[in-house]
Amino acid sequence: MFQTGVSVSPVILAVNNLCKRYGELVAVDRVSFSVHRQEIFGILGPNGAGKTSTLEMIETLRPIDAGTVILDGLDVSSHPRQVQQRIGVQLQSASFFEKLNLKELLLLLGELYGRVVDPMELLSEVDLQDRAKAQVEQLSGGQQQRFSIAASLVNDPLLVFLDEPTTGLDPQARRHLWGVIRRIRSEGKTVVLTTHYMEEAEELCDRVAIMDRGRIVADAPPRTLIGDLLASGFKKERVERLANLEDVFLHLTGHALQED
Amino acid sequence: MRLQWKLTVASLKMFTRQKEAIVWTMLLPLFMVFLFGFVSFEGMEKIQFGVSGAENEPAARLVGRLGEVRTVQVNRGAESAELEQLEAGKRHLVLVLPQGFDPAGKQELRVLVNDGTPEETQMGLLILRKVLDDATFGVQSAPDRIPMAIQSVASRRSSYIDFLLPGVLSLAIMQSGIFGVAFGFVSLRKRGVLRRLSVTPMKPQDFIAAQVAMRLIVLLAQIVVLVGVGILFFDLQFMGRLLDLFAMGLLGGAVFLAIGFFLAGIARTEDQVVPLANVVSLPMMLLSGVFFSRANLPEPVRVVTEFFPLTYLADGMRSIVLEGSTLPALWLQLVGLGLWSILSVWAAVRVFRWE
Ligand SMILES: Nc1ncnc2c1ncn2[C@@H]1O[C@H](COP(=O)(O)OP(=O)(O)OP(=O)(O)O)[C@@H](O)[C@H]1O
Ligand SMILES: [Mg+2]
Repeated sequence: MFQTGVSVSPVILAVNNLCKRYGELVAVDRVSFSVHRQEIFGILGPNGAGKTSTLEMIETLRPIDAGTVILDGLDVSSHPRQVQQRIGVQLQSASFFEKLNLKELLLLLGELYGRVVDPMELLSEVDLQDRAKAQVEQLSGGQQQRFSIAASLVNDPLLVFLDEPTTGLDPQARRHLWGVIRRIRSEGKTVVLTTHYMEEAEELCDRVAIMDRGRIVADAPPRTLIGDLLASGFKKERVERLANLEDVFLHLTGHALQED
Repeated sequence: MRLQWKLTVASLKMFTRQKEAIVWTMLLPLFMVFLFGFVSFEGMEKIQFGVSGAENEPAARLVGRLGEVRTVQVNRGAESAELEQLEAGKRHLVLVLPQGFDPAGKQELRVLVNDGTPEETQMGLLILRKVLDDATFGVQSAPDRIPMAIQSVASRRSSYIDFLLPGVLSLAIMQSGIFGVAFGFVSLRKRGVLRRLSVTPMKPQDFIAAQVAMRLIVLLAQIVVLVGVGILFFDLQFMGRLLDLFAMGLLGGAVFLAIGFFLAGIARTEDQVVPLANVVSLPMMLLSGVFFSRANLPEPVRVVTEFFPLTYLADGMRSIVLEGSTLPALWLQLVGLGLWSILSVWAAVRVFRWE
């Protein structure tokens, strides 16, 4: 039933000259990038840079004004249903049905893809197996984000999109989530995420694209970007402290993983 | 099919876990029946006279006088038809005028009275006596009374509960259709649930079908609960068949669900939904004969309300409950609701937005 496309290609996602306008505003301006299989690819950029708009066009949620998106060999605008079968999506702002518990929600979401899922396995993937009977509203912010990721995995997708998965979380919860994201990648999936935290991008992403005012201004592995910057003769005005406040916080509250 | 089934089951779970929903769809209607059932409004009803027999000039004059009494409503018809109405509890008295009626003639008048409504009957007899005396007084100086043969007829004891319960049931079907769907959908849209669903391969119509199925199941439960409680605790005289009630209810439900989807389409926020839904439902709630008979409405209003979907539904439900009517006899209501459902589904499809 699945059209395999050119799945031998190492490129799972190819975005070419993508554009989005809202009236006068050009929110996404000829954006091109590609993502390789099993990569963790980060999109960085200030508020309003166009990250969410870009992702949601790829995710079939918003109409593409111009340009093409090829996902696993499929053109997104002409094969939205097949693309939807292959991707998992966590939206920046969305919620789930009220009154259903986590287990029931995952089972129902699985049905939407025509799949019978094992909810406990999905929950343990994001360390929520103890909260199977809870409702989403009863979870902490970090737990909600992790559930949202579990929900994006119900169809065993090739490619997972996470829009600001760690925004609003405390440093431990954020680190916890990094572990979850790495685990997903180790299962052979590809992850595309957006973030406002530089240290997160540096720590987690194999490659980052930096967006500003609708355009991509850099696209390379974090180390390369930093190396290029230093090579250009850049010097920090103030010498980096050997520890920063985040290290203090983590030190005091326990570096090891805690249930948030 | 499996998907629709799973979605329907999940929707029912969500519905039944919502305490407010149970209160609105089941408890509030019961409370209304309870409250209005004890505050009796029977005194406000007119005394229904059936008149048959002679149609000569003095008879017409007598009937005219009778009709002038404010608390009386005169219905002319053949004796057999009027007797049927009496037995069905729709007349308090039936007056049978002898052929060639003449106020001076002292012919005996037959009066058939409803034995189930002693107060109205008594009042009706007093009024009739007075009108007859006036009539004879006009033609005779010595008021010789026209003799009346009063005959009691075993009639249905038609209580206000019997009238009220099918009306409230119809009202409950309307409210949960319009408010449940409109409010529920706008809230799903606003919270981003629909957006989250639209990145899955699920088709919107599958979800809508499941919502409709869930609401119709709730509707059948409303019918069973209200009629059941009515029979058990309010001595409801249920004359009809449950299946007819189901069929009429489902058709009415279709109209109100479609109106709900229509409102969900034009409302942008939850705050807009409630006033919109009230604008649609309040006039029907007050004027469709849910609590009081529409017979007492001023004529132009009564004619307009004739065409309200809730009027068709309430009349149909009431006729099934009170008179044991079956669907073929209710063709007017069925056609009315059928036309409304076509109109409202068409309007809903035009304005409905997923996002
Ligand atoms: N539906 C919309 N209608 C009109 N303008 C929009 C819409 N969605 C986004 N915009 C505008 O497009 C621009 C890009 O928005 P977008 O949400 O893609 O940015 P972002 O990079 O995800 O920002 P953030 O980091 O705050 O999430 C912003 O100026 C925003 O105001
Ligand atoms: Mg965003």
